[in-house]
Amino acid sequence: MVLLETRNLTKRFGGLSAVNRVSIQVPKGSIYSIIGPNGAGKTTLFNCITGFYPPDEGDMLFKGQTLLGYAPDRVTCQGISRTYQNIRLFPAMTALENILVGAHPRLKTNWVDAILHTPRQREEEKMAIQEAAELLNFVGLKGKGDLLARNLPYGEQRQLEMARALANSPDLILLDEPTAGMNPNESANMMRFIRDLREDMGITILLIEHDMKVVMGISEYIYVLDFGELIAEGPPDEIQKDPLVIESYLGKSAT
Amino acid sequence: MDAVWKDSSREGLIFGVVIIFFILIGLTVTLSDIVGNSLDLDSDSMIGNTRGLMVTYSIIGLWIGIRGASTAKRTWAASLVSSAAAGLTTAVLVGAFVFFIGILDAADVEMRNYLVQLSRPSVQLLIFTKKPVVGSFLTAGIFIISSALGGLLSLAAEHQRHSQQWQAAFFERFSDLSLKRVKDTFHNNTRLRWVGYGLFLAISLLIPQFLSKYWNYAMGTVGIYVLMGLGLNIVVGLAGLLGLGYVAFFAIGAYTVGLLTAPAPISLQIGFWPALIASVVLAALTGILLGLPVLRMRGDYLAIVTLGFGEIIRVLIRSDLMSPYLGGPQGIRDIAGPTIFGVSLSSEKAYLYLIVIGILLAIFFTNHLQNSRVGRAWMAIREDETVAQAMGINTLYYKLLAFATGAAFAGVGGALFAARNQYTGPADHTLMVSINVLCLLIVGGMGSIPGVIVGAFVLKGFPEILRELELYRLLTFGGLLVVMMVLRPEGLWPAPRRRLELYTEDSSTSAPEDESAGQGAEKV
Repeated sequence: MVLLETRNLTKRFGGLSAVNRVSIQVPKGSIYSIIGPNGAGKTTLFNCITGFYPPDEGDMLFKGQTLLGYAPDRVTCQGISRTYQNIRLFPAMTALENILVGAHPRLKTNWVDAILHTPRQREEEKMAIQEAAELLNFVGLKGKGDLLARNLPYGEQRQLEMARALANSPDLILLDEPTAGMNPNESANMMRFIRDLREDMGITILLIEHDMKVVMGISEYIYVLDFGELIAEGPPDEIQKDPLVIESYLGKSAT
Repeated sequence: MDAVWKDSSREGLIFGVVIIFFILIGLTVTLSDIVGNSLDLDSDSMIGNTRGLMVTYSIIGLWIGIRGASTAKRTWAASLVSSAAAGLTTAVLVGAFVFFIGILDAADVEMRNYLVQLSRPSVQLLIFTKKPVVGSFLTAGIFIISSALGGLLSLAAEHQRHSQQWQAAFFERFSDLSLKRVKDTFHNNTRLRWVGYGLFLAISLLIPQFLSKYWNYAMGTVGIYVLMGLGLNIVVGLAGLLGLGYVAFFAIGAYTVGLLTAPAPISLQIGFWPALIASVVLAALTGILLGLPVLRMRGDYLAIVTLGFGEIIRVLIRSDLMSPYLGGPQGIRDIAGPTIFGVSLSSEKAYLYLIVIGILLAIFFTNHLQNSRVGRAWMAIREDETVAQAMGINTLYYKLLAFATGAAFAGVGGALFAARNQYTGPADHTLMVSINVLCLLIVGGMGSIPGVIVGAFVLKGFPEILRELELYRLLTFGGLLVVMMVLRPEGLWPAPRRRLELYTEDSSTSAPEDESAGQGAEKV
């Protein structure tokens, strides 16, 4: 079953087509990757899917329903989470509060409940805090929930961003360079973690990645973008042999 | 040695310039009066207090000496040299200035024409009613001697601290008992917190009984500012929406109560309580109506637009166009006060109680909102609006909610203010009100409820206590803000973070790192 699909998606900035007629299909429960050189339009594609940029042409479907015209908050409420290339946590909030903000769409109490401190609100709050603490454990940040996000070291900030993205129990998670700035050891851990997400939580994963080791090791299927266009797609071993990809992107490192 | 000279004489230069500035704005007269009166000193001059001025100079001189010595903490000699250099620079500068104006005064030049504060009696004060030469040398001498003394004092203290261990231990113990520690235990111990709240409640309920009528009125003013500060705290401190037109909602609250209860310009006279409710609702509605178009803007643009809105309201209420309905520049008279079962509650004391009840309600609301899904959404918007929206937060809704809540608090403040004065007019609703409220937030600490209270007392309460400094209120404001930004950018009582994670083990790793220190350095 196809979870996410784009059909001839196009986004132009002035005369430049950042994303040009891109069609991808991500089945439920899979790990797919998007690769391409800098400026190929990978992050723009993410920004279109998550509602930050309205696409100029084409369609995007999530669970068979269009996402066109949805603001970012509504896209998230459909069950799509994302992380950012350059980590974007809420720096002056604690780690746990960051995760609780991530859980926002799942919580239902409103401002009247909050002011009156209704039993419903207290119950929900208790549950949310407990679940956030569990997520904190899951990403290996146990005991650091009350630290401000900006006081965490880089690697832990990445983990926290991941936990925040998981907090609204998404069906699909978009990871924008999850191993950027990590050493080989940390990258290997992250790969294992991403696989766990799929195995344990059944979350579908679409990631942008530059590290070929990670991409080839983890993905089931790869889309290659260059100058906004899809130039190749296929399983990792095919992509590695594709002459067009080697020429445009992998260059000498593949040979 | 050369560098020491330079550093310390620059230090002295700054002091000198500041002192001359104080002289030019006439602050020396006031200061010498305060010092002279409190020490019961006789004076030779018509205005100000010559001996008080000498003491003031000596204190500043001591300070210069201590500062000077601390620029070079290597050796005795270097410290003495830098102390002397700093003191000498100030002494020469101020002495020369005093000599100059003394000579001009002796030559019958009326300096008042150019520099308002330099009247002849005040010049007499500056030269200690002596000859200009004597006066200026006296001034310079005081600075030289006291700064040398200050230098020696700081050296002696330094020496002591090095030689005596117990003193170091004492200092450590002392800093342990610092305000931060008190606050930390206060925030983390629930029972203690309730005791604290109870104490605060008891004090705020008892105090009005012992205060004079004037002080009840003054405290009421502070209270109204606390109320408005709590409102703006939600808008600026929690949701991060920089609004400069906050006075508009204050005005709407005041005018709603005015129009609904006063006999003129439209005679409705429906009584205070329904009018109070109407003013809250109307202020909140206006907040939403204003917010709908305006909240699409961010940061500076939002500040400018709200600033404009505040002015529009003020111009509108004093315009001829609206004067048949709003009373025009004369405002609205005979606004009714609250009554309970026919008993009028119009004494200053009763109003103070009403205001305190309003504040307690506002604190209750703020507290509950802040520590909920709503408050977290606000903070997320403040931190990073784009990401907040990507987290599934309907940003427009929450920004409107913040605006409406803040406006409602200001509406209550305005309503109480108008009823208490039995009058409201355009002069009550100037831009200065918005600026005052914003300043008290900055001074107290953004996003912090105790900070708002502290800030209101500092900005509205101190001027009442130090009535003699009334003239310099704006100067004090500016100075205070600059000092705060440099020394404590997070405010006097910054917002604590609530602890949420339940600890079973390794609680040592989760000690909160110094959150306040980072705030100033990292501009996010």
